[in-house]
Amino acid sequence: MATQAAPGAGTRLFHPHFEGHDQISARTLGFWLYMLSDALLFTGLFLAYAVLNNPMGAAGGPIATQIVNPVEGMWQTYAVLGSVAAYSLATVALKKGSMVGVMAGIVISILLALVFLGYEVHDLMGLMAQGHGPDSSGFLSAFFVLIATHGLHMVFGILWMIVMLVQIPTLGFSPNVVARLLNLRMFWQFQATVWVLVYVYVYMIGAF
Amino acid sequence: MSAPHSNPLEHPEVRQASTWRYLAGFAATIVLMQAALTVTLRQHLPYTEYTLTIAGLALASLLAQAALFFGLDISRAQIWKSVSLVLTVPLFILSVGLTVWMFHSLMQRTMIMPQNMAQPTMLQ
Repeated sequence: MATQAAPGAGTRLFHPHFEGHDQISARTLGFWLYMLSDALLFTGLFLAYAVLNNPMGAAGGPIATQIVNPVEGMWQTYAVLGSVAAYSLATVALKKGSMVGVMAGIVISILLALVFLGYEVHDLMGLMAQGHGPDSSGFLSAFFVLIATHGLHMVFGILWMIVMLVQIPTLGFSPNVVARLLNLRMFWQFQATVWVLVYVYVYMIGAF
Repeated sequence: MSAPHSNPLEHPEVRQASTWRYLAGFAATIVLMQAALTVTLRQHLPYTEYTLTIAGLALASLLAQAALFFGLDISRAQIWKSVSLVLTVPLFILSVGLTVWMFHSLMQRTMIMPQNMAQPTMLQ
């Protein structure tokens, strides 16, 4: 029977090449926990928005009913969900080992994400052009930060996809690349989840 | 967590990918959001009923995404993600619930009403 040294300062709690560890599951679980903390960040932004969406928070400027358009928001919903579906289907191609299928899904996903961001930038720039920038009132600060934080997540997701478009043909479906693709799938699906909440709370209830 | 696999494409989280599940998740979310948009545009419900209806549709959409997009279940590969989500949901509820409670009547409890502002000051 093998003897085991008592744990001390030099003990390694996790060895990256130990056969008994499932490296991919460890990484996806870690990333999932990060996303749950990211969701709490969005909770804080939603609360700030909710508290400031009233005439006093607007400081004489507009509140949600005057600046959001739920019909335009639906087009953004189509774009972000289409992007998420395209990336998710890319991971079906991953299951089949199809490099072309994965890369095609990622490219379609990027294009739809750019459509989504185009709508968002157009909306925010339009508000600023009317003099309703993020520094105009507490409400507009909360509105811009909430929308732009989600938009920034989308930008980083696109950058991540571009990196994967380089890594897939150069490194192949190695354990590291597969783990990154799985984490990106969770991250991207999470953007659709956050958008549904933004759309319902800001664009629909806000417009009612 | 599941057992290690020598071929990463054999990993359960890779094998979990499913065309029908992703298309169903996409369709379910679109249908629910379209329904919510229709309710919003018609404006035939009082505000409380409207918000409850919209919240119900949003909740249904979130559940559809959890099951169909994220594939959350109690399988060996997914159980810890499901458990951590279940443990985090009360944090969302507490954050939202307590903040709404605190700020619900903020104006009445902290703001001096205009008629009360006519009180004489020490300088008068």
